[in-house]
Amino acid sequence: MGDEPSRGPMMTRVCWRLVEILSLMLHPDERDVVRGDLVESGAAGSQALRDVLGLVIRRQAAPWTHWRAWLILAILVVPLGMLLSVTSRSTADGSAVYVWMYANNWKWVDLGHAGFWHVLAETVLLVFKGYMTLVCWSWTSGFVLGSVSRRMIQTNSVLFCLMLWFGALVGAPRYFDYYLQYVHQTFGFPSLPDPNAPVFALVFYRDMFPLIVQAVLVVGPALWGMRQGAGMARLRPLLRRILWIAAIATLAAMLIQNRELWVFLNLYRRPGIWDGWQIWLLQVVVYWPVGYLVAGAIRRRWHRRMASI
Amino acid sequence: MLGEFEYLILSAATRLREDAYGAAIRQEIEDATRHRCSIGALYTTLDRLEAKGFIKTRMGDPTPQRGGRPKRMVRVTAMGIRAASDFYAAVTRVSRGVSWETNRVAVR
Repeated sequence: MGDEPSRGPMMTRVCWRLVEILSLMLHPDERDVVRGDLVESGAAGSQALRDVLGLVIRRQAAPWTHWRAWLILAILVVPLGMLLSVTSRSTADGSAVYVWMYANNWKWVDLGHAGFWHVLAETVLLVFKGYMTLVCWSWTSGFVLGSVSRRMIQTNSVLFCLMLWFGALVGAPRYFDYYLQYVHQTFGFPSLPDPNAPVFALVFYRDMFPLIVQAVLVVGPALWGMRQGAGMARLRPLLRRILWIAAIATLAAMLIQNRELWVFLNLYRRPGIWDGWQIWLLQVVVYWPVGYLVAGAIRRRWHRRMASI
Repeated sequence: MLGEFEYLILSAATRLREDAYGAAIRQEIEDATRHRCSIGALYTTLDRLEAKGFIKTRMGDPTPQRGGRPKRMVRVTAMGIRAASDFYAAVTRVSRGVSWETNRVAVR
């Protein structure tokens, strides 16, 4: 930070470093003004930290005096966080079996078999498709959150991550337990031993892998999507409308493809719901963030080239 | 009706005239009230006053004593002056005859 003490007691330096980090949560103009005020008044590090913290809290708390913030929390942050946790857990468990199959049972001799490569290619494609879908769902969820709550983006990022964390540790495991109990009771399935039990007997695949998948494929893309969504107001109205349609279609796809939910709702008996061309189209639309980001990158490169001419 | 802190800011900014900006207003308020004025309270109240049309703010030029950072300059509008005058008149009226007011007059 400009003229703030860069030398001095350790505490002072830590305080000023925290001031610098905290003030990033302020609007750039306000950040400059406040830092200038602190320098001019010769505030001590701890005092500056208290001042900036107070302002940041007030700024972040201000939107919560309106019903809109609570509505966004109730209809977007909580349901999306929970849904993504469940989906992420499901994707992680599915792919954990394949990862275990190759990583924990690797035999060099298999490399000589043509069938090994064929199955490997199929598995990689399957896992990649699942991961890409999860990334696009997460990015879209973040995009929607960012576009409806620009002023609260930091608070909502934290709340969304807390929701994901809660979902991963408590929500998703309970949901799947309840789902299995429901399926066994409703359909009278015999209690056969779980064929994937050896995989989930390992702490890594049972506890750590789902968290890694969630951090990389859900939290990262969702926060990225939030930042992109916050800038949506700058886009043309027609493009905004198209993006909204794509985002709503993606969220609908996420809900529809959460099959466990449909089992609870007793709609699983109508397979036509999932086999129609509409669902196929929805599955394609889900990947819209890829197209949007690629188009944005091409546009920026083209603008740079035009500016340099 | 203004809040007391809003009134303090309007008074300080009016007194400072062309030199009214965040840090100066804060100093003025601290000197007058002998209480600390937090940056958070100051800037959120400035926003509220601006939203009510009582002040107008703009970014000033950067200065070396501020580490090359700009000031948020404040100008009190005619509506702000009217609101502050009304507040002062109300405080004066409501204080008439109360002990601290009569004591103050006696001391004077």
